Amino acid sequence: MNEFLSFSATYLPYLLQGALVTIEIAVIGVIFGSIIGLLVGLGRVSSNPLLSQISRFYIWVIRGTPLLLQLFVIHFAIPSVFSALTMPPFVSACIALSLNAAAYIAEIARGAIQSIDKGQMEAARSLGLSAGQAMRRIIIPQAFRRMLPPLGNEFIALIKESSLVSTIALYDLLRTGQQIISSTYRYMEVFLLVGLIYLFLTTIMSYIVGKIEKKVGAYE
Amino acid sequence: MISCKNIIKKFDKLEVLKGIDLDVAPGEVVVIIGPSGSGKSTFLRCINRLEAADSGTITINGQAVEYKESSLNKLRQDIGMVFQQFNLFPHMTVMENIIEAPVLLKKMTKDGAKKKGLELLNKVGLEEKENEYPNRLSGGQKQRVAIARALAMEPKIMLFDEPTSALDPELVGEVLTVMKKLAKEGMTMVVVTHEMGFAREVADRVIFMDGGTIIEQGPPEVIFETPQHDRTKEFLGHLK
Ligand SMILES: Nc1ncnc2c1ncn2[C@@H]1O[C@H](COP(=O)(O)OP(=O)(O)O)[C@@H](O)[C@H]1O
Ligand SMILES: [Mg+2]
Repeated sequence: MNEFLSFSATYLPYLLQGALVTIEIAVIGVIFGSIIGLLVGLGRVSSNPLLSQISRFYIWVIRGTPLLLQLFVIHFAIPSVFSALTMPPFVSACIALSLNAAAYIAEIARGAIQSIDKGQMEAARSLGLSAGQAMRRIIIPQAFRRMLPPLGNEFIALIKESSLVSTIALYDLLRTGQQIISSTYRYMEVFLLVGLIYLFLTTIMSYIVGKIEKKVGAYE
Repeated sequence: MISCKNIIKKFDKLEVLKGIDLDVAPGEVVVIIGPSGSGKSTFLRCINRLEAADSGTITINGQAVEYKESSLNKLRQDIGMVFQQFNLFPHMTVMENIIEAPVLLKKMTKDGAKKKGLELLNKVGLEEKENEYPNRLSGGQKQRVAIARALAMEPKIMLFDEPTSALDPELVGEVLTVMKKLAKEGMTMVVVTHEMGFAREVADRVIFMDGGTIIEQGPPEVIFETPQHDRTKEFLGHLK
């Protein structure tokens, strides 16, 4: 036990550095994923058939293929054809996670928008607001509140799924752990530590999501 | 003021309005009664084009309503609507609900709109609630805020779709009182309601609708005391 603690003390700082990378790409993924996802979600509920078809297609492709494949396409396949699009692993990872999260967030956004009572749009239109104004001022602010808990869950999922970026030589939490193993061969201890750090991150996030859920519920 | 000619509205195959004609004079209060499903709500919603009629014309102040988005938005600014389910914006305070449209559409300053908003809240008896969120209000209070919100756009006409039907009986009176006050001030109103007392007291004209047509109309005392049509008699009989 003492031995494990001293081992941990030696390598924890490295793992925490990896955890920081994991947090960074998950945060970037959820932020850009939210922006793109909200746009795609709006496209999905748009009355413009072209917009809604494009959005539907995007969601279909992204949700129907593995994230690992998307990551490889962005990091390896596209640069192999257009060498100008060669990017460092961190950038590829952020792009892949953002685009992937966007498809799931688009569905969250669509669900949230459609869950807002029809009467809200009608009341806004009856006052003379245009459809766009009603969306911007009345529907989206309410939908956004309802999106917060599922967005938090998406963030938790992203923290875990982001471990796939270790396959493109990005030193996130998992890859850092693998690196330590390659010089120490201490599989058990390292993966135990890595697992504990992931658990710590996701548990904190779950707690925050729970708080937000309570708050959102109280206002409605 | 409003003139509707031969309004027809279908939902798929179902013909809900079978050619409605209605002229409302300035300052007139028209009450529409009729069984559930007879098309009363649909008709009100055709007046401000929340529903698009399939055919027929609507004229407001002598001008035919153009079916362009921008002119419809303009038109709706002049037609206030009050819904059975209030439809207050839950993410905004009472005052924010009231000033949203005037600030956005009439380019009023926030302060100017708030001053006006306070007058309106005063009128509906809720000046102390300006900073509350709707979920902290009773149904009757919500509906009075909804009336104030509609009035903030200074509409020329107010449409009410069963404004008291979702309220506990003891809260109906406070909303009707506000509506009576409005009527006395000369507001042009079209009101769908089951409150026959209100209709008797305030209406200039009562319209009985059934099956998507106007069966009978006239002054309240005539409709209530000496209805001509069997269906009107039957409907009024059920209410007693
Ligand atoms: N959006 C809609 N789609 C299909 N049918 C509808 C819709 N709105 C109303 N109806 C139908 O139109 C008829 C008249 O409804 P409505 O105008 O709400 O009547 P009322 O207000 O008199 O109760 C009903 O049969 C109703 O089911
Ligand atoms: Mg109705």
